[in-house]
Amino acid sequence: MKKRVAVTGIGIVSPLGCSVETFWKSLSNGVSGVRSISQYNAKGLPVKIAAEVTDFSPNGHFGKPYEFNSSLSMCFDRRTNFALAATEQALKDSRLSIDLLADANVYLGAGEGPNSVELISTLLAPLLAEDSSCDEARLFSSPLAEEFALHDMLMEATVPASLIAKNYGICGEVMTSLSACAASSQAIGEAMRRIQNEECQIALAGGTHTMTAALDVLGFARLSALSPGNGDPKKASRPFDRNRDGFVLGEGAGMLILEEFEHAKKRGARIYAELIGYGASSDAYRVTDMHPEALGAVSAIEAALNDAAIDPQDIGYVSAHGTSTLENDRSETKALHTALGKYAPMIPVSSIKSMTGHAVAAAGVIEMIASILALNERVLPPTINLEIPDPECDLDYVPNKARAANFDVAMSNSFGFGGQNVALLVRKSELNG
Amino acid sequence: MKKRIVITGLGAVTPIGNDVESFWQSLVEARSGVTVMKSDTTDELLPAFVANVKEFDPAGIGLPSRKLKMMGRPAQLMLAAAAEASRMAGLDDNTNESLLKRCGIVVGVGMYNADISEFVRTLKAAQNALPNSSAQIDVEYFSRAAATEMFPLWLLRHIPNMVAAHTGIMLKIRGVSNTVMNGCASAAFAIGESMRVIERGEADVMLSAGVDSRVNSMSVLRYLKLGWQVEGTDDDPATVCKPFDQTAAGFVSGEAAGVLVLEEYRHAVDRGATILAEITGRGAGNDAYDVVRPHPQGRGLSRAISQCLKQNEQAMPIPEVVFASANGIPDFDSAAAQALRSSFNTFGISPSVTATRSLTGHTHAASFALDAIAAVKAISDNIVPPTINLKNPIDDFDFVIDEPQARPVSTAMVTGYGIGGHAGALLLRRCEK
Repeated sequence: MKKRVAVTGIGIVSPLGCSVETFWKSLSNGVSGVRSISQYNAKGLPVKIAAEVTDFSPNGHFGKPYEFNSSLSMCFDRRTNFALAATEQALKDSRLSIDLLADANVYLGAGEGPNSVELISTLLAPLLAEDSSCDEARLFSSPLAEEFALHDMLMEATVPASLIAKNYGICGEVMTSLSACAASSQAIGEAMRRIQNEECQIALAGGTHTMTAALDVLGFARLSALSPGNGDPKKASRPFDRNRDGFVLGEGAGMLILEEFEHAKKRGARIYAELIGYGASSDAYRVTDMHPEALGAVSAIEAALNDAAIDPQDIGYVSAHGTSTLENDRSETKALHTALGKYAPMIPVSSIKSMTGHAVAAAGVIEMIASILALNERVLPPTINLEIPDPECDLDYVPNKARAANFDVAMSNSFGFGGQNVALLVRKSELNG
Repeated sequence: MKKRIVITGLGAVTPIGNDVESFWQSLVEARSGVTVMKSDTTDELLPAFVANVKEFDPAGIGLPSRKLKMMGRPAQLMLAAAAEASRMAGLDDNTNESLLKRCGIVVGVGMYNADISEFVRTLKAAQNALPNSSAQIDVEYFSRAAATEMFPLWLLRHIPNMVAAHTGIMLKIRGVSNTVMNGCASAAFAIGESMRVIERGEADVMLSAGVDSRVNSMSVLRYLKLGWQVEGTDDDPATVCKPFDQTAAGFVSGEAAGVLVLEEYRHAVDRGATILAEITGRGAGNDAYDVVRPHPQGRGLSRAISQCLKQNEQAMPIPEVVFASANGIPDFDSAAAQALRSSFNTFGISPSVTATRSLTGHTHAASFALDAIAAVKAISDNIVPPTINLKNPIDDFDFVIDEPQARPVSTAMVTGYGIGGHAGALLLRRCEK
């Protein structure tokens, strides 16, 4: 018999705020977090907007430089600090005693840290000769080599998860998933399975990413995946709108404390919701495009429904992957029609990426948090900037204004670049109103 | 009842051989893969050793060059290894729709640093645009140059989950796809994740892999400056990797891809697949200690080994040989030795111990997969491959030194341990019907 999985703590760092309260207030008021890039000089970039986290300052604990040896120390990057802050919030929220965490598991969806183009440039530019060849041998004696080495080391994808383990003394399995836009949803699903199958009683599951640095913006802009953002930045992310023209990069972190249901009940924990379904698949189609019939997405949704043993009509809200690219929003609409059948037009669907931008590896957990809050607050967050519907996107997208709704089950979809698809189902807890 | 999981295919591209047979022959004959590094932009020799894959022609994968161009080196190595593994397992009939839908993939990856040649054009253009010769390239100059000079598909080469995506597309597999990153133990976690997916009945067949390429100058520079890689190139390349030796001075950074096809036992029997070995235990743990240094007693590894041996439900959980994670960094070797010592004492065992990294160099995220492949071969051939350069061992394990040891091997344990304190262990045995 599978164990039940409760969500007993939430932490968030997002472009809409760095606490659950501020995040929800912005979401339910339809506020956009997209702005002109302010973390660095973006004048030379082809796209100059992003959904940046702006009111975050690492406190003393997280801001302490990492000391590698007596001459070398460096501060952790944004992604790592976001993850630590979200974890601290979630653990406080759960009121779990830290000594219960020794055998806990950690499953984080993450990416590598942001490269510093200035450091790379100052390291490599002096080695270039007139004929564009490069004197690579001199790299090894560069005065910047040590600084680069430590910076590069701290960019490793495992750093946030390892630090979480260190800070809270977690000796259980500590994992990092890098399945791009599906990473943190996959992390939540796999962590849920570990509790269901009694591998652990407590798991920290979530994600962290920053994809707003210059090299990331350049990389995606070169692939023509981003909205150029030529007008008002707040209008750039417009999922399901006829005039959508790409996604907006974002950043942030989210953390959930997952706990075996009886364990949570026994200690009188606040149970936000219960995770009841997880389905995953891959497209095996193209690395940059979704399958035109969205076959992979459909099988992930069907697997999640089977897993939870519920029917499409039981779903009261879908938090869409909804990136605001021409292709995703159409394929996803198709997938929902195929998987939910005649109930699809009756189920409200919204994309909070219209407000948060696309936090890539952190997107799934941020959207799961929005779904859990929607269940508890009985309000659906809107899809903003949905002014002229795309005729091929014909579902109820909760356009522009939040909507009151009392419902029991939400589905959150994440479809990764490269064709990984994840669907998660979450149900209101009978112990929480 | 818990499902039995067997191995039905192997694939390898390594510094000592570009397929499983030549890898195994080199291991048994103690041929080292260490060479002096060459520049990526010119052909000059650089002041560092590497353990690179030799004479690898990506065209051999059989894909058009426009597709190969959008792949990073890790993806290319992986595709060659995955093709070998899928042939061996008889999965290469990609019209078998029902099998492909029940087949998934989990890849353990590392971090793929850019080749310097990928930045040369951008940096040269940025340098030419500078107002005077003393000005330095800042983010704005870099961005303006990169917006036109950067290879348009640059990002696709560097996003970690593209390795799994390309493999899934090539083999047309449609089940769960995940990409995990757990430092040098990444492949251990990929195998653990794959086993869970099969145990839960969500797939019948899983490709589990470890892949990494850290042989370009930006990668090697990191390890040299952190003091983890053997310095200089004065010594005989074959003599510098000395895992478990008192005079060890670091590893030699390498690259490889290793793939194992995991399959549910009944499924393998029913389709008449050749069963190479059975997996009867797995374990994982974390040091909860530091992001780049091991816990002095190897706390995470002890936990992993103990979980692995306890989990083994068959009668005789006694590994006759242990493939150890030692790589030549004194701190890590000592922590690994302490964890092995305390586990051997706890379980009252004294297996043969060997460290293949003395021959392969450190292939990072691929290293555990290569050891798992070697363990399967050791079981089928009843031979333990030797550790070389071990003159003054730091512990008195029953090391297999310089010459292969012919002995009955029915059970082998593979251990993985590395930065981030991530540790994994796997128990393999000859499959009895």
